[in-house]
Amino acid sequence: MSHPALHPPPRFANVVREQVRAVALALRVPAMAALAVLVLGSGLAIGEFITGGGAVDFAPELSMVPAFVGLLFPIGVWKGENRFGTSFLWLLPVDRRQHALAKVAAGWVCLMVTVLFFLVWLFVLSLVTGGNILGEHAVQLLPSTVIPEARTLDPAALRAVRYAPDPVFWLVPFTAATGTYLLTSAVTLGVRYPVRWIIGVPLSVLLVSALGAAARIDWLKLLASRLLRFVFDGRYGLDALFTARAESLKTAVVLTTGKTVSVWRAFPDVGDWALATTLWIGAGLAALMAAALRQREK
Amino acid sequence: MSNVLDRALDGAVSTYAVSTQGLTKRYGDEVALNAVDLRIPEGSVFVLLGANGAGKSTALKLLLNLERADSGVAEVFGLDTRRHGPRVRAQVGYVPERHDAGYRWMTCDRLLKHVAAYYPAWDQTYADRLIGALEIRRNRKIGGLSKGDTRRLQLLMALAHRPPLLVLDEPTDGLDPVVRKRVLTLLAEHLADSPTTVLITTHHIHEVENLADHVGILRAGRLVIQVPREELQRTVRRYRLDLPDQWEAPRDLVIPAPRSGRVREVQWTIVGDERAVTERLTTSGARVREVVSLPLEEAALAFLPDEGTR
Repeated sequence: MSHPALHPPPRFANVVREQVRAVALALRVPAMAALAVLVLGSGLAIGEFITGGGAVDFAPELSMVPAFVGLLFPIGVWKGENRFGTSFLWLLPVDRRQHALAKVAAGWVCLMVTVLFFLVWLFVLSLVTGGNILGEHAVQLLPSTVIPEARTLDPAALRAVRYAPDPVFWLVPFTAATGTYLLTSAVTLGVRYPVRWIIGVPLSVLLVSALGAAARIDWLKLLASRLLRFVFDGRYGLDALFTARAESLKTAVVLTTGKTVSVWRAFPDVGDWALATTLWIGAGLAALMAAALRQREK
Repeated sequence: MSNVLDRALDGAVSTYAVSTQGLTKRYGDEVALNAVDLRIPEGSVFVLLGANGAGKSTALKLLLNLERADSGVAEVFGLDTRRHGPRVRAQVGYVPERHDAGYRWMTCDRLLKHVAAYYPAWDQTYADRLIGALEIRRNRKIGGLSKGDTRRLQLLMALAHRPPLLVLDEPTDGLDPVVRKRVLTLLAEHLADSPTTVLITTHHIHEVENLADHVGILRAGRLVIQVPREELQRTVRRYRLDLPDQWEAPRDLVIPAPRSGRVREVQWTIVGDERAVTERLTTSGARVREVVSLPLEEAALAFLPDEGTR
């Protein structure tokens, strides 16, 4: 039996390229809104600078914005796609699983461009306002011998140091956004109602913790609080991914003078950050691959 | 009955664009398709008919591997649809039953560029011609299109890559009579220009009468007949009869609502070879006053539920 000359399916590179265009178009409205926020932020920062306020330092690793953008990005990427129904995407002549991953990859490209744009904006704002573009700033360091939980602290125990982040930390916004993007993409692809899961899981842990406290079940309260601390503030927790622990290494202490100051317990460590980032991105990729299995050809 | 008619198809055709064997699909306890053996000859226009819920759209989705069959095999141009879903879809121009053309925020023009990127065989000159013929407004947002606009855009996307197989699920649904006629003319021109097999489902059978050369009928998930159109129209006839008192219908003849009683004139649509049917009726005492051939729609209705007695 002979059949007519069959049409070839599209090249995968062409599919990814077209998906980048489609995703960029889908994100046009939120991108315009984000741009408006940046313009507003620029106006406020420059206004503050003109009226004698502080300059904006370029410290990309301190911003959690890219991580949160990565968290929300999949909503825009999958806008209008009925992932578990007869989506338009599935009608096209590409293997469903590969197509889903191509769309995720296209979204990631758009995300990286967005993060880069954000950093360039931050950098230009630092230049315009005369801020430190190397991110150097003076910090108060808590010596390791001091117990941070102590109620009051002698100001003499604090050490004033000049902290300049390792330039490798300028990658943090990209890796943080990648990690959160992969995780939420996995949830978006793997479950029908991703928002319920993204909000529901941490809310459940908080609820368990609150119930433990209300019912005076100490072990339950302790378990929930340890879990939250491990996931968010732990050495390889989400804060390590988001800010190289720049947030969780900071703490507020009350001085014997009665003043409350923000101090650093230690400086972010490149090794810890690299390991945490590898773990979270690895987990995100593994989750994404598992989730994509739900979208395989029928 | 259908076995007699199927022989004509098996004997005449050696290559099928679409063939299925025992294709079965269930949704819970409900059987949507029941052991369907569909055979669509290459280059033919195959009209798949059936009442609402007969399983027509399900069959089309299985062919594109958009749904998973519970059992059975489907092949499109010799490609197993389960193993080669993407390759199969590359050969198909599909107009789905739903009026949902794609991304609501895209303009028609952008959506067409999007779709074109997926089909290396996309013929832009032809697409431009279809845009004019179907009066597609390029800058309109998909979300703002009417039902008819959406259908025209879906037709354009299905035709413009000149696929070897067109799968059209109610393609004229939502179109006004003028556009409907234009679409059918375009389809006829397309078939004349491009070597294409067409699988079409419709409730407007009269519209495709001139295009159709094969007909299949699904009833409650079962394919009750698939046959060349001429064969169907030759085999399904309307008989005007005078029935004598106490007339008994021949046992081997499927008569819609056979009656006994006083002499009366009846008109029945009967499936079978005309000569044989006439002979059986005459032998049984009925007087055959007239035998009329039927248009495709009426011939097809003989196989649909509650349409036998007329």
